[in-house]
Amino acid sequence: MNFARSSYLLAACMLAAVAFPALGQAQDTIRIGAPLALSGKFVSYGAAAKRGVEMAVDIYGGKVGNKKIEILFRDTQSDAQAAVNSFTQLLAEEKVNYLIGPIATPMAMAGLPAWRRTKALWVVPGATTPLLEEEAGKEPMLFHTFPYAYHYHISLARILRERLGTGKTLAIIYSDDSYGREHLPYAQKYFTQEGFKIVAEELVRAGATDLNPVLAKIRRVHPDILLGLVQTTDGIQLTKQIYVQRLNVPYLIGTAYPQLKQWQDATAEAQEGWVGVTTYIPGLKATADPKYPKLFPNSDAWIAEFTKRYNRVPEFIDVGAYVSTCMLLIAIENAGVLDDKEKVAAELKKLDVQTMIGRGKFVASIGGTLNQAFSDVVVHQRVKGTDAILFPKEFQTTDKIEPATYAK
Amino acid sequence: MASSMASLLLQILVDALLLGGVYTLMAVGLSLSFGVTRIINFAHGDVVMYGSYAAFFAFSGLNIDPLLSLPAVAILGAVGGYLLFKFSIDRILEDVSINQVLLTFGLGLILQNVAVILWTGDERSTTPFYAFQSWFLSDDVVVANGRLIAFGLAAAFMALLLAWLRWSELGRATRAVSQNRAAASLMGINVRAIYGLSFALSSAFGAATGAIMSFLLPITPFMGFPILVKAFAIIILGGLDSILGTVIGAFFLAIAETAIAYLVPQGIGWAEGVAFFLLVLMLIVRPAGILGTVGRDA
Repeated sequence: MNFARSSYLLAACMLAAVAFPALGQAQDTIRIGAPLALSGKFVSYGAAAKRGVEMAVDIYGGKVGNKKIEILFRDTQSDAQAAVNSFTQLLAEEKVNYLIGPIATPMAMAGLPAWRRTKALWVVPGATTPLLEEEAGKEPMLFHTFPYAYHYHISLARILRERLGTGKTLAIIYSDDSYGREHLPYAQKYFTQEGFKIVAEELVRAGATDLNPVLAKIRRVHPDILLGLVQTTDGIQLTKQIYVQRLNVPYLIGTAYPQLKQWQDATAEAQEGWVGVTTYIPGLKATADPKYPKLFPNSDAWIAEFTKRYNRVPEFIDVGAYVSTCMLLIAIENAGVLDDKEKVAAELKKLDVQTMIGRGKFVASIGGTLNQAFSDVVVHQRVKGTDAILFPKEFQTTDKIEPATYAK
Repeated sequence: MASSMASLLLQILVDALLLGGVYTLMAVGLSLSFGVTRIINFAHGDVVMYGSYAAFFAFSGLNIDPLLSLPAVAILGAVGGYLLFKFSIDRILEDVSINQVLLTFGLGLILQNVAVILWTGDERSTTPFYAFQSWFLSDDVVVANGRLIAFGLAAAFMALLLAWLRWSELGRATRAVSQNRAAASLMGINVRAIYGLSFALSSAFGAATGAIMSFLLPITPFMGFPILVKAFAIIILGGLDSILGTVIGAFFLAIAETAIAYLVPQGIGWAEGVAFFLLVLMLIVRPAGILGTVGRDA
């Protein structure tokens, strides 16, 4: 009889252990879900974000208070259906209270319905196209830590007007994917507001082999400025074909791609003169945060640490994911190391830190996101193989925009 | 006004011809392997991708121009193609078509994912000097040197391939197998060896095309699929088993796409649609393609 009772007890314990695996871990770990594109076409974004998250956890010491930090990486495979599965698995099965990632807007949008069911605290260090803002910006548990498309165009239009004067003409090339189509209305709005006259708007197919037909049309309207609203692969193709065509447009403006090493390596001499926007670029001399100097040291010290670990220079997603993860961990610690997402969200809202990509403070965005940090962008230009910084003023290294090489 | 229209038409013609050269390169290998084995190699785009990476690493690591590394890349492609045939496709030659499709499709996915693991998804490109040069036929008619080189190489490859098929013994054997496998076998031709040879040649063309694409397109592990899709449309247009038909299909498609891109507002967005509209139309009206003999019953 006693044997039977202890057997039942043992069996019950085993069943409980199988049925509720998270209970044992919940007491001594803080689990954060990280749905990232670790394969597929967005893998470079996902890999950079993973580096940033891992480095943040490591620098933080691997623990918040006495609880071990456990990051549950899930591969969205750059595919919407796989992203849905990643979110569902993290939120419904693993029951995480905190999420960080993904970077690409289509992956974030795919995960949105699954997220709505639990509304975990969600830090998004990417998703520039404002689809996420339109769908979930007003959600108090969403924390967006990357500029939206309109932040790019507000800064670009203002800097170009300040440096080139008013009355200039502008041609826009935009891709037929969500990136190009989402950026276009903001470019139209803010460049027009700053006094630019849009003389051409040309659609290109994402992944197109031949952009010459579009460039030939633009050649005929002689704009002063060309703005290319495309992603990296198309940015490479556009840059090379503009150069080969010797397109007579003095000022060439991109979005995020001119900062990327892969774009720079692939475009060689054709990159000269291109202007781009980013959140971080080598040459920004940010000072250390007085309260958290270990997490947010001056930018030179942080770059040295990153380079030592990964044997490469950090790019904007590395830094963005690192900073976003650190802010989340600080908020968890400030909330008393409780796995209570509401309290952590309240702490995150209170946070005000000086980071390598500027001031980390959540405020409402002009487009309606309740919790938006890092809205300021850096405007830079490729000059003789390096970056001249045009904006913000505190990091500015030049006040003159150079025309493209062949247009001089 | 008349001069402006003339220069526009000249630019359309130049762009269409140069694009036709690029499309010919993309499709010729696929056409050759299908013409002989009757198996559509869905991994062909990935063979092109590996050719691009080989040329890229020769350029960035050893400072070898893509045009100079092209012969070595083609030989590597031939060896790879033969091994691919020997260890996978050869085993399902007698299977139903769906198994052959699934096998080559799966091989393509494996090749793509191995490339992601080895080289990440970063975009790359070779940057030889001629890829950034062009010359002007008039004030606004531009000829890109990189594409002109691709056009010249496409013409040279086609001439070599057609000459080999016509005048060499192995070439004649390949044509015999393509026309009638049973009769060729009765004549003493080793059909499986010819299959292996045609796959090796097809992959050599694919890899050589990759070396040329390395300075025309961004290199990524995902570049193969769009190339495969375009090549597939071209060989259906031209005729699945006709090399000459492939050339005609490539130029037919390039002319249609370029004319629409230039003459229709926002036309470049319609270009891909044109390819598939033509493909569907051809399948309905003439399933064998312009010069092909394999149709609905294949």
